[in-house]
Amino acid sequence: MVNKVNNMLDDARLKDRTMTGTDIKITARNVQVHYGTSHAIKDLNVDILNNTVTAFIGPSGCGKSTFLRCLNRMNDTIASCRVDGEIKLDSEDIYDKKVDPVQLRAKVGMVFQKPNPFPKSIYDNVAYGPRIHGLARSKADLDDIVEKALRRGAIWDEVKDRLQSPGTGLSGGQQQRLCIARAVATEPEVLLMDEPCSALDPIATAQVEELIDELKQNYSVVIVTHSMQQAARVSQKTAFFHLGNLVEYGETGQIFTNPKDPRTESYISGRIG
Amino acid sequence: MTDLSSAPGATPAGVRKPHSLYEVDALTKRRNATEFRFRLYGIIAIAISLSVLALMLFTIFSDGISAFRQASLSFPVTLTEEKLDPAGNRNREEMAKVTTIGYSNLLKENFAAYVNSQGFEVEGLTDAMIGDMLSRDAAAQVRNQVLADPELIGTTIDVTVLANGRIDGYLKGRVNREEALRDKNVTPEQLDLTDKLVDQGILTVAFNWGFMTRPDASDQRPESAGLGVAILGSAYMMMIVLVLTLPIGVAASIYLEEFAPKNWFTDLIEVNISNLAAVPSIVFGILGLAVFINFAGLPQSSSLVGGLVLTLVCLPTIIIATRASIRAVPPSIRDAALGVGASKMQTVFHHVLPLAMPGILTGTILALATALGETAPLLLIGMVAFVGTHPSAPIQGFFEPATALPVQVYGWASRSDPAFLERSSGAVIVLLFFLLIMNAIAIILRRRFERRW
Amino acid sequence: MTGDEQHIMRAYDRDLEAIQAMIIKMGGLVEDAIMNGTASLVNRDTELAEKVRAADKSVDDLEELINEEAARTIALRAPVSTDLRIILSVIKIAGSLERVGDYAKNIAKRTSVLAEMRPISGSDGTLKRMAREVQTMLKDTLDAFVRRDEALARDVINRDQDVDQMYNALFREFLTFMMEDPRNITACMHLHFIAKNVERMGDLVTNMAEQIVYLTTGSRPDENRPKGDRTAFMDGVD
Repeated sequence: MVNKVNNMLDDARLKDRTMTGTDIKITARNVQVHYGTSHAIKDLNVDILNNTVTAFIGPSGCGKSTFLRCLNRMNDTIASCRVDGEIKLDSEDIYDKKVDPVQLRAKVGMVFQKPNPFPKSIYDNVAYGPRIHGLARSKADLDDIVEKALRRGAIWDEVKDRLQSPGTGLSGGQQQRLCIARAVATEPEVLLMDEPCSALDPIATAQVEELIDELKQNYSVVIVTHSMQQAARVSQKTAFFHLGNLVEYGETGQIFTNPKDPRTESYISGRIG
Repeated sequence: MTDLSSAPGATPAGVRKPHSLYEVDALTKRRNATEFRFRLYGIIAIAISLSVLALMLFTIFSDGISAFRQASLSFPVTLTEEKLDPAGNRNREEMAKVTTIGYSNLLKENFAAYVNSQGFEVEGLTDAMIGDMLSRDAAAQVRNQVLADPELIGTTIDVTVLANGRIDGYLKGRVNREEALRDKNVTPEQLDLTDKLVDQGILTVAFNWGFMTRPDASDQRPESAGLGVAILGSAYMMMIVLVLTLPIGVAASIYLEEFAPKNWFTDLIEVNISNLAAVPSIVFGILGLAVFINFAGLPQSSSLVGGLVLTLVCLPTIIIATRASIRAVPPSIRDAALGVGASKMQTVFHHVLPLAMPGILTGTILALATALGETAPLLLIGMVAFVGTHPSAPIQGFFEPATALPVQVYGWASRSDPAFLERSSGAVIVLLFFLLIMNAIAIILRRRFERRW
Repeated sequence: MTGDEQHIMRAYDRDLEAIQAMIIKMGGLVEDAIMNGTASLVNRDTELAEKVRAADKSVDDLEELINEEAARTIALRAPVSTDLRIILSVIKIAGSLERVGDYAKNIAKRTSVLAEMRPISGSDGTLKRMAREVQTMLKDTLDAFVRRDEALARDVINRDQDVDQMYNALFREFLTFMMEDPRNITACMHLHFIAKNVERMGDLVTNMAEQIVYLTTGSRPDENRPKGDRTAFMDGVD
C-alpha cells in the first residue's frame, strides 16, 4: 500500500519518513539472563537493524533495561548477573572470551536515564572518550572530534562559546544532549539509550527525541522507554517486553495501530500495568 | 464505638465531621503542643551545650591566656673576668667549667647592686631577697650568651632575663601578699620591690615567645617552660601519620570498595575495620610498645614510634571516611565512564577518586586532628618523659625523643607549682588553635574541591 | 503548512505535511474528475468518460491511505489542538472528496448511456456552468485549506446558493422537457441525476469549507447558511 502510493505521490516527505535501514546490526538468539535465582530474560530472539531507532517498551521489571545492558555488557559490573545465549554485533559474538568489554563499549555507546555529565568542562566531557581510546593524534584532531560530536548531539550552537565551563552547569536537556555527544564522540556503531528523557521536561524531551531521529542516519539506536508515546514518536521498530519475554516485535506504526498480540494491545491501550 | 454512637451528634468512625477551618480541634492542638515541646527540647539542648562550651573556653582562656605573657627584668651586668674566665685566655672549654651557679651569683650581685643604686626604700629587704627575684634560668641564659661570644668578658652589658615565677605570678594576679607570707619562695618585701621596679620600667611584662619555642623546664623554673619540643614532636608525628595513612588508607579503601569481590572474607575485613575504629586508643599504645619498641627496637619516646602508633589509631577512621566518600560518588558517574569505554581503573582514578577527594581529605584531616589530641597511647610509649632539648630536623629528628602537645598538657597539669597550671592551660589554647586551623583547612579543602554532580 | 512555528520533532511536521499533501493531491484528482466528467458529457466523449471512471480508483486508494495515515499519526504522535483539528479535518475532507469523486464517476457512467441517446439541447450550458462553479468552489476550498483562509472558506459556503439556484432552474427545465416529449424522459432523468450529483458535490464542498472554518477557528460556522435548493417544495411547472 505504502509503496503504491509512494509511486503515485512521489512525495519525498513520505519516503523520508518510511526510510529505515535493512541491514541487521545486532542479532540476539536464545538469550537468557539470570540475576541470582531470578530469571530476568527468557529465551529472547531479536534482530536489530542498522540506521533504525528500535524502541523497547514494557511494564517495569519486564527485562527491557536488562536486555539493553546486555548489549554493551554493562551487566558485567553486576556480580550476580549471568547471560546465556548468543548476542552478535556484526556477526561477532560479544560474549566471546576474547572480547574485552572496554572495546565493546567504545563500539556500543550508552546514554543513561539521568543526565550524568562528568563534573568537568563541556570540552573534557566530550574529549574523555576519544582521549582514552587514543582517537586523536593532536590537539587539533581532538578539537575537531569534539566539535563534530557536539554538532551531532545538536548542542554545538548552544555551547560553542563556553566549552570550558562545567558540563554540570547546563540545563537537564542540554546535559542529556551533552551525554549523547559524549557517547557519539567515541565513534560508536550502536547507541543504547536507557530512558534518556525520563528526567527531562517536555520541551527538552522533544529536543532529545528530534536528536534521536537524526542520529538514526548514522547509527543503530536502541532506546528503552517507559513512555509508549515516546516509543511511538521516535522509533521505527518497537519491541514489547512482558515478564522477561519479548512478546511482539514489529514496525512501530503496526504495533500502535494494530498489535498482533493481545498482551501488547492491553499494554499500549493501558489495560495492564 | 458504642460510646461514640451513644454520644449526641456523634458521627460514625472514619467520617469527618463538618468543621470550620477557623476552629482548632483537640487533635490539632495536641499535635501542635507536641511539636512545640520538641522544639523547646532542642533549644534547651543547644543552649546547654553552648553554655558548657563557653564555660570550658572561658576557664581555659582565663587560666591560660596569661601564659603568653611573661615578666622579665632588664639591668646592667658587669662580666668580671676573674669569676667567669679565671684562666683569662677566653678558651671556651676552660670557660665552660664555670657552672651556672657561678653566673647565678654574679647576676644576683649585679642585680642587687643595681637595685640598691636606684635607691628604693623597702624595709627588711636583703640583697639575697633581691637576687632571688631572678629566674633560675637567667644564669643559663647569660652563660650561653657569654660562651657564644667570649669577648663580652670584662665589659658591662644590659641583660633582659626572666623574673622568678612568683614575681611573674604576682604581676598576673596569681600571687598576693597573704600567700607570700606563707610561701617560702617569695616574701612581701620582694613584692613591694616588684611594684617599684615596674614603675621604673626595670620589670616589664611582654609577649612570651619563649612559651612557643623553649623546651620543657624543671619544677623550679615554671617561668622558662615552653612548648617548643611538644610542638615539634606533634608536627613530626603528624607528618608521619599523614605520609603513612593517606596512601595506605586510600589504597585500601579503593580496593575494598571498587575491586574486592563481595564475600565473607571482605565482610570480615569490613567488620574488623569498623571494630578497630572503636578500639580504645590506649590499646594501640600497648601494641606500639610491644611491637615498635620491644620487638622492632625503635627508640623510646621518639616521634617515629608516636607517629606509627597514631597511624594505627587513624587508619580505621580514614578508611571508613574514604569508603564513605567513595560510596557517595553517584553510580551514574561510574556508569558514564564505563559507558564510554573506560576501564575499571580509569573509572576509579579519573572520575571516582577526584569526586571523592574532598571527603577523603576532610576525613583525613579530622582523623589527624583526633591524632593530634591523642594522649593515652603516647604515654605508654614514653613520650611523657622530660625532654629538655629540641629534636633535630627530620629525618634524624624522628628518631630523637620528643613530647607531644596533649602529653605536655598532661605533664604540666600534674606538677605542683600553680605556675604550671597556667602553662598547662596555655598549652591547651595552643592545641585548640592547631585543631582549629586543621578544621579550617578541612573546610577550605572541602569548599575548594567540592563539585556538583 | 502548519503555520510559522515548527514542531521541535521535525518528523512530526513531515507527517502532517505529507498527509495534507495527500489531501491536495486527492483534491486535484477530484477536480480533474469533475472537469473531465462534465467535458465528456458535453462532448459526448465516451473515451474520456471511461478515463474518469478509471481514475476514481486512485481517489479511493488515496482516501484509504489518508485514513490510514491519520490513524497512524493519532496513534504515534497524539496530536492536540491545531494538529488534532488538522487530522480530524483531513479525515472528514478525505471522506467528502471521495464522495465528490464518486459523483464525478457517476456523471461519467451516465455519459456513456447518454451518448447513445438523442441529445437534449439547451441543458448542457447550464450543467457545464454548474460543474465549473462547483469545481471552482472545490479549488477555492483546497486553497483555503492550504492557506488556512477562513474568509475564502466562508465565501465558498455562500456560493453554494448559486449552485442550488442553477439546479432549481435545471429541475424546471428538465420537467418542461419531459412534459413536452415523453421520449426525453430517460435522457432527462439521467441529466437530472447528473444535475443532482453536481448539486450534491456543491453541498459536499460546502461541508469541506465548513470543516476548514472549524480547522482555522476551532468552532463550526453557524447553521443558517443560505440554502437554495427548493425543488423539494415544488409540485410541478406552473
